Amino acid sequence: MRKYAIVLLCFFLFAFVINESHFTVPENFPQPVYDFSKNPLTENKILLGRTLFYEPMLSKSNTISCESCHSPFSAFTHIDHALSHGIHDSIGTRNSPALMNLAWQNFFMWDGAVNNLDMQALAPISHPAEMGSTINEVVEKLNASEKYRKLFYNAYGDNTATGENTLKAISQFMLTLVSANSKYDKVMRKELSFTDQEANGYLLFKKNCSSCHTEPLFTNGNFKNNGLPIDLVLKDIGRMKATSNPNDSLKFKVPSLRNIEYSYPYMHDGRFKKLSEVLNHYTNGIQPSNTLATQLNQGIQLSSNEKVDIIAFLLTLSDKEFVFNPKFQYPK
Amino acid sequence: MFKDSPVILHDSVYQLDNGNTIKFKTLKFYISNIQLLQNDVAVFIEQNSFYLIDVADTSSQNIFLNPKQGISFNKIKFNLGIDSTTNVSGAMGGDLDPTKGMYWTWQSGYINFKMEGTCTTPKNDFEFHLGGYQYPFNSLQKIELTTSLKTNLKIILDLNKFCKAVNFAKQKHIMSPCVDAVTLSQQLANCFSIK
Repeated sequence: MRKYAIVLLCFFLFAFVINESHFTVPENFPQPVYDFSKNPLTENKILLGRTLFYEPMLSKSNTISCESCHSPFSAFTHIDHALSHGIHDSIGTRNSPALMNLAWQNFFMWDGAVNNLDMQALAPISHPAEMGSTINEVVEKLNASEKYRKLFYNAYGDNTATGENTLKAISQFMLTLVSANSKYDKVMRKELSFTDQEANGYLLFKKNCSSCHTEPLFTNGNFKNNGLPIDLVLKDIGRMKATSNPNDSLKFKVPSLRNIEYSYPYMHDGRFKKLSEVLNHYTNGIQPSNTLATQLNQGIQLSSNEKVDIIAFLLTLSDKEFVFNPKFQYPK
Repeated sequence: MFKDSPVILHDSVYQLDNGNTIKFKTLKFYISNIQLLQNDVAVFIEQNSFYLIDVADTSSQNIFLNPKQGISFNKIKFNLGIDSTTNVSGAMGGDLDPTKGMYWTWQSGYINFKMEGTCTTPKNDFEFHLGGYQYPFNSLQKIELTTSLKTNLKIILDLNKFCKAVNFAKQKHIMSPCVDAVTLSQQLANCFSIK
């Protein structure tokens, strides 16, 4: 009996360690909001999800994968593209967001139209300018593939792909995309210290930016109108599209600033290429409107030197280990 | 049912009271949270169960409940659609699998009721995808029917009654949570009866 108990204990310890290695809450982070109990991470499910993330069969023409617009080296966005392009060179209407720390997000997409990470992939799969397919078509292709039948079997003990296990596997991989090893994090953990310029930038950041770009995730998860003049071609009304509520007009999700160095261009439509342009918008470009974030009513006052210091601080949010993590790259 | 005829998809033509005729291409909807009550006290609750009733799939039209032997009840309650908690709970399988064609992709949420087809005069295709789980467009309906029967309850959805509530000349496409989706869902809730 005792032997049995010890074996069992070892098993639990082992399971605990395995699970921990797949997903650890960084010590300076809050508890995640994703419900892991409904989709417990396992090595084989993550591998399946990672393979699916890089799989062009997700698109109608078998040419576009998630990675096409969310490349690891750019913190999982599409650098140099203000608006991303999908099948048949179609152009979308928004800048593809960087993917990281998704377990802490309640809403997805710039307008928050998606309410759960599991359901996120349905949107690009179905969008005519992105992958132009359907989840049914994707599942059918996966079930016809010897490679995927094996991967599904290893992950779920059943070689049949369904909508549920396909989407949950993609979530598994995306949940592992945790970025918490930037210089900023190391300073917070007292392993490194800021330069004087970075330290000054951090003070200015906390004074002027952090009510929306709140530490440690560098977003408060809210939707705000940050005073961008509306693009007359795209005419994007932001969150109002998802809620039909006029109070949400021109509001977009506050993006995390982590890895901002890698994830240009900026804003929901990628209109700014450089961080200096972003700061110039906040000091000189705010358009007044009914739904403008109250923090921006007076604009933000910053001298040129202060802007340079803030940028020096923002560059401490770059997490090289995240961007080059071999576990996130194309599975060979 | 449409008047006294069972609905057959695609070829069968049904006569509306205003003289128009109508054909159905798709007709499916969710039934969930079934309860049996005796004098308004629940004697049987089937939690976390969701049934997609699809006219194209006859087997989906029979629901087997398994209450304790010998309970008495005089009312059945169920939801037409999917509750808000389930709507925000991520990917699910079985009848809730997104491959069932009852989940919106561009904006999260289940379609509670889907009816598609053609109306002859004015000639147009119609698509009613009724859903929405958030205020002010929550279209979930709670339905209560009294019954004297104990086994084999036959619940009828009278589409003739529902079609009377639809202005096919004006309303052709409802594909997102909105006021019309809520109003039509409420009308739909009145079209269930026990035979």
